[in-house]
Amino acid sequence: MIRFSNVSKTYDNGTEALKNVDLEIADGEFVFIVGASGAGKSTLIKLLLREEVPSSGAIEVNGYTVNRLKRRQIPGFRRSLGVVFQDFRLIPTMNVYDNVAFALRVTNVSTRDIRRRVPYILSLVGLASKARCKMNELSGGEQQRVALARALVNNPKLIIADEPTGNIDPELSYEIVDLLNEINKVGTTVVMVTHEHDLVAQFNRRVITIDNGSVVADDADWGQR
Amino acid sequence: MKGSSFTYLLKEGARNIWVNRMMSLASVGILVSCMLLIGSAILLSINLNGMVSYVENQNEMVAFLEDTADDNVVASVEAALAQNSNVDSFAFVSREEALERYSEVVPESLLESLQEDKEEVFPLSFRITLKDLSQIKETTARIESIPGVMRVNAPTNVAETVTGIKRAVYICGSGIVVILLAVTLIIIANTIKVTVFNRRKEINIMKFVGATDLFIRMPFVVEGILLGVISACAAYLLLWGGYTYLMDYVQTQAAGTLSAFLKNLVPFSQVARQLLASFLVGGVAIGVFGSMIFVRKHLKV
Ligand SMILES: Nc1ncnc2c1ncn2[C@@H]1O[C@H](COP(=O)(O)OP(=O)(O)OP(=O)(O)O)[C@@H](O)[C@H]1O
Ligand SMILES: [Mg+2]
Repeated sequence: MIRFSNVSKTYDNGTEALKNVDLEIADGEFVFIVGASGAGKSTLIKLLLREEVPSSGAIEVNGYTVNRLKRRQIPGFRRSLGVVFQDFRLIPTMNVYDNVAFALRVTNVSTRDIRRRVPYILSLVGLASKARCKMNELSGGEQQRVALARALVNNPKLIIADEPTGNIDPELSYEIVDLLNEINKVGTTVVMVTHEHDLVAQFNRRVITIDNGSVVADDADWGQR
Repeated sequence: MKGSSFTYLLKEGARNIWVNRMMSLASVGILVSCMLLIGSAILLSINLNGMVSYVENQNEMVAFLEDTADDNVVASVEAALAQNSNVDSFAFVSREEALERYSEVVPESLLESLQEDKEEVFPLSFRITLKDLSQIKETTARIESIPGVMRVNAPTNVAETVTGIKRAVYICGSGIVVILLAVTLIIIANTIKVTVFNRRKEINIMKFVGATDLFIRMPFVVEGILLGVISACAAYLLLWGGYTYLMDYVQTQAAGTLSAFLKNLVPFSQVARQLLASFLVGGVAIGVFGSMIFVRKHLKV
């Protein structure tokens, strides 16, 4: 579960990126977060990941009070979720397999389990045949799927994706969201930021709209309208 | 920590070195150069010191006994010398020996002019070498105060010069080594800083997949250790080869008085172990602490 209680974020330079946000996302939900550029969507995600701390208010994610996490609690918290970044954040010197296995290695998973788990996830995102490829040998869409595979590999309860379709063409975008949809069906909560309204319209899901730092709309069935 | 993650860390450290091989090569190159400079400075001052000590050992003082001295007095002076902590060695010189030594340096004709009992002219004496020439004055005074000793002939001037040279070598030597160490630290710190900076994205990614700070640091530390060890061994072998070659060359070329000096060159084997040990300790310490400090900066997400 995710809960924002009266959360505000003012950056050091005085920008009020979020203002008094109240938000609740239940386990197993699939939520789109939309809004104009500069609305505060990425800021919301950064607060969720504890990349930034709120200026005021409380944030609860997966049972952790994120705004009060101690330094040594952060790794444990981050292991409970999977993140897909807009800029992929893959390691260029590693191949596809290692980029995904990496997320398991850092959490002390045994080599035996890694060998079982990684090929499974790679086949899930359709990259089984590219396991030995380097990042510069992949297309943007393929790289995006590697990033997704890495987010999924440790079986998180929550997937957070900041514009995962930002750099790829509409057809591939649909595939990525469809994949997230499938993952959501087995019980994983998905929070996805996007500004592609066409894409959102294709899925019948809850949509939270942010404008100028505030939640201005929260439609349970946006796709139906 | 599980076995699997230990092997992972080792592999990861080695992989990092290979992936960033140009940077690794640069680091090793810089470390080796610095170690060679420092090693050479140390070897040079050790050898200069050795040569000065050689000169030092050539200088001895002579304590003449009073004419009335008998066997008892000789024995008591001997005992007093043995108790003096700055006396390195001493040897009794009988009248016959004194004459013998004297005749070596003085023309025959001059000897003839002496009376019948030539030996009687020469007093009994002790030849004494000191441990620390810088204390020659104090030691001379103490030996002169031993009952039965008439006078002490000491090369005070030479002693002062030698002590001065020794001090200069020591100060210059340590000064140069300290400066080199400082320069090395600055260069290495910057190299590590650049290495870590080049990989800040990787560190950032690790943070977001939930790696602990320790886990992120370990491959860098392993890398630091490996590079430190490689550099230390390379520097050691180069210094060994270079020094041995140079010593052979110098000793075969030198002739006359100089060769006596150069016989006293310190053989590499005498300093080898300490040198290798300090290279290893220095290299590994720089690698480990450097990466610890500079990785930290990027761990704050
Ligand atoms: N680190 C920062 N320091 C200062 N201001 C920031 C920082 N990050 C974001 N901002 C500001 O906060 C506001 C919200 O930014 P945010 O990145 O959350 O927008 P966004 O909704 O993700 O936009 P986009 O769709 O373009 O990605 C913007 O005005 C931005 O300039
Ligand atoms: Mg954004």
